[in-house]
Amino acid sequence: MNVIFLLIAASTVVAVLFLAAFTWAVRSGQFDDDRSPGVRILGDAKPAPTTAPHTTTNPNA
Amino acid sequence: MQHLMFVSSQPTAPPELCHVQPTTAQRVLCYHCGDTCREEHLVHDEKDFCCQGCRAVYGLLQESGLCDYYAISDQPGVKEKADVTELRPELFDIPEVRDRLVEYSEDGITRVTLNIPQMHCSSCIWLLENLQRVEPAIIRSRVRFSEKELSITFREERFSLRALVELLRRIGYAPLLNRPQDKAARRGAGVPRMLYVKLGIAAFAFGNIMLFSFPEYLGADVSDRTLLRGFQFLSLAFSIPVLLFSSQEFFTSAWAGIRTRQVNIDQPIALGILALFARSTADVLLETGPGYFDSLAGLVFFLLVGRWYQAYTYQALSFDRTLADFLPLVVIRKRGEVEEAVGVGDLVQGDHIVVRDQELVPVDSVLRAGIGNIDNSFITGEPLPVRRAVGDTLRAGGRQRGAAIELEVLRPFEQSHLKRLWEEHAATSAQRRPAMPRMIDAVARRFTVAVMLIAVAAGIYWAGRDADMVWPVVTAVLIVACPCALALSMPFAYGHTMRLLGRRGVFLRDAEVVERMAHVNAVVFDKTGTLTAREAFELRFIGSALTADEEQRLRSLARNSAHPLSAVLYQGLKGEVSDAVEVEETAGKGIEGTVRGLAVRIGAAEFCGGTKLHMEQGEAQVHVAVGGVYRGCFAVHKRARSGMHAAVQGMRGMAHTHLLTGDTHVDADVSAVFDAQAMHTGCSPTDKSAFIQQLQGGGDRVMMVGDGLNDAGALALSDVGMTVSETSAALTPASDAILDARSIDRLPQALRLTRAARRVVIMSLGLSLMYNVVGVSYAVSGHLTPLIAAILMPLSSVTVVGFVTLATTWSARRLWANDRS
Repeated sequence: MNVIFLLIAASTVVAVLFLAAFTWAVRSGQFDDDRSPGVRILGDAKPAPTTAPHTTTNPNA
Repeated sequence: MQHLMFVSSQPTAPPELCHVQPTTAQRVLCYHCGDTCREEHLVHDEKDFCCQGCRAVYGLLQESGLCDYYAISDQPGVKEKADVTELRPELFDIPEVRDRLVEYSEDGITRVTLNIPQMHCSSCIWLLENLQRVEPAIIRSRVRFSEKELSITFREERFSLRALVELLRRIGYAPLLNRPQDKAARRGAGVPRMLYVKLGIAAFAFGNIMLFSFPEYLGADVSDRTLLRGFQFLSLAFSIPVLLFSSQEFFTSAWAGIRTRQVNIDQPIALGILALFARSTADVLLETGPGYFDSLAGLVFFLLVGRWYQAYTYQALSFDRTLADFLPLVVIRKRGEVEEAVGVGDLVQGDHIVVRDQELVPVDSVLRAGIGNIDNSFITGEPLPVRRAVGDTLRAGGRQRGAAIELEVLRPFEQSHLKRLWEEHAATSAQRRPAMPRMIDAVARRFTVAVMLIAVAAGIYWAGRDADMVWPVVTAVLIVACPCALALSMPFAYGHTMRLLGRRGVFLRDAEVVERMAHVNAVVFDKTGTLTAREAFELRFIGSALTADEEQRLRSLARNSAHPLSAVLYQGLKGEVSDAVEVEETAGKGIEGTVRGLAVRIGAAEFCGGTKLHMEQGEAQVHVAVGGVYRGCFAVHKRARSGMHAAVQGMRGMAHTHLLTGDTHVDADVSAVFDAQAMHTGCSPTDKSAFIQQLQGGGDRVMMVGDGLNDAGALALSDVGMTVSETSAALTPASDAILDARSIDRLPQALRLTRAARRVVIMSLGLSLMYNVVGVSYAVSGHLTPLIAAILMPLSSVTVVGFVTLATTWSARRLWANDRS
């Protein structure tokens, strides 16, 4: 039966860790804007086309 | 709807004009901005464009491989309008302006944050975040959509701030010169981060305590007391941060109410939270029961969800503005032949300043050189420019249309007409509109008193019978009577109504406006700019009818002029455009040129050889001559908005309608929908404010619908001030609500919806009171077990929230059953 105390302690620690992760996420601004991140992933996959003459001048862009 | 376009700054590609066969069933929409195209419009790349500006933006994006812009949302573009482009990019070269926007600048790398009001959809975000494909000097750009802000990092040695602003302007996202600096000015934009943390902690405690409570509720094997005791102490530990941290704001608000001796809804809530914690802690310590910790955490969690929704629905629109948002910060002062940029506040009497096309006159002044074509739409809503000659006095706030003019400052900005008008407005806003009792306050007052009486009565009853039962019964009453569902019904009902209205072009400042709107029984309309469109005109020809051939020639010539009246003519006349040669435009007189061998003139009466006619107020005249012969004159007058009849007549049976106008005459199409005694002409801004107060004195709840700065006082005084706006960036005075001009016909339904929302709230109050009665009946008889509390509390909250959300959605559906969206 004692094993259940260990399990409860362990699960509570895990739960508190998740709470801490959530708090960190909020504080780092991840909940500030719920619209743009969803759109952001739409564009990233496509490389800039080579037809545009000036896009190659700055590879870091 | 017709829009006047001024695209003089656009690169002039040869327009590919074509005739599209008029198909009555199908309207052709502009591929870029989604406006309806005229029969004759631009076609490029097999796509339709309504104007040169939209086509140019498409060309720019296509060249940079950014056509995904059009794939993410349909017709995402923003049409470049003359109103919006008052911004002068060279202002961004001025150090004070630059300092305000630049957040970081080192080693030639600069980061700025700009406010872009036109940002409205997914395509906007995508395009603005991919600007580096258009301009390689841009390193990174990030959007904060909720605040309509764009942060851009770029290499300044290769690309100036001014060039950046010009680029944004070219693609239709002109930034504002001013950015709200302090956090207080941005209050309500987005949800405060701390609220998420509080919500997270409450949710964490709620979930875990509920799990800890299951063995107790389910009557699990209780042979091991240690385990149950352990769970009880863990629950106690988890609920401490909920009490001390998550429920802070309920205690502060309740305390603020006590200090000002006002009863508010947070007092019974705070009392309930305290009773829950005290009772549960006592139960656990004295081993008299498992406590109500899950109800405590659940209660705080649901209440915080209500707070979150309230903050979430708050509109990210700028409702509060200062005069500085409207005026150019910097003007060009002329000393001899030297022109220099100075601040508006530094101007003194006798200074000479230069005001160019589309710029505002910043101070009261006298015209010294050039011809003034002053558009006072910002002040009065009247869009037709007024002619001013050398020696005339110009008031601050008018916009010059046409060639640059030179002015002599009459009095410093501090003493100008505009400043006085604004201060009058600020003073009236401070004067406060008559207070409207909020329903929640009245309910809270009665509710709190009733709960107190029941608790005391139950205590006295049990004291006589069984003294041991007093503490459990009194705490149980306070726990179960906690008005959680009551506190949730209003934010959800009104917040959801705001969202429903926002989808239909009516944007409210906050949820409280919904309730104020529900009480409105008198609606006052401003005429100019509100019921009449800012940029839609009707042409009437005076003289012997023009032949199709003459119309075609006039239209061809009119296309060459940037004057607003020429643009009206160009759009109003028919015929295929041919080239005009030897075109010469004389400022203040008109334009002449040769079209297919015949000399054509458009302009003032004397310029064309005619005589000046007497016109009704608000009408302009354009004279024309073809082949050296005077042909007659066009009377141009503003057209009433198409939804105007529906807007005014739909109010019948709900509210009285009144019309206020500064003009001395009301056009027939507008006067047809109002009662004769409900129209008041010749009103000054002070008259308008006085009229609102007079109506309120008679017991009416007044909604003012206006637009110009001359309505600002009336808007601030009325119970609900609503401004009509054609673009999201248009200059509108402070108000409670913004109405998209295209949605003006939806105003009666909007009013009906707010009334329906109020009825929904009343019904939901009944529902939540029913739960309270059930709970209290358990409590006074001493049968409120933790299990019953744990079921009743979430059940009541969820059903009330569900009910108000569904009921308001259903009301909106019913009201807009036959609507276009």
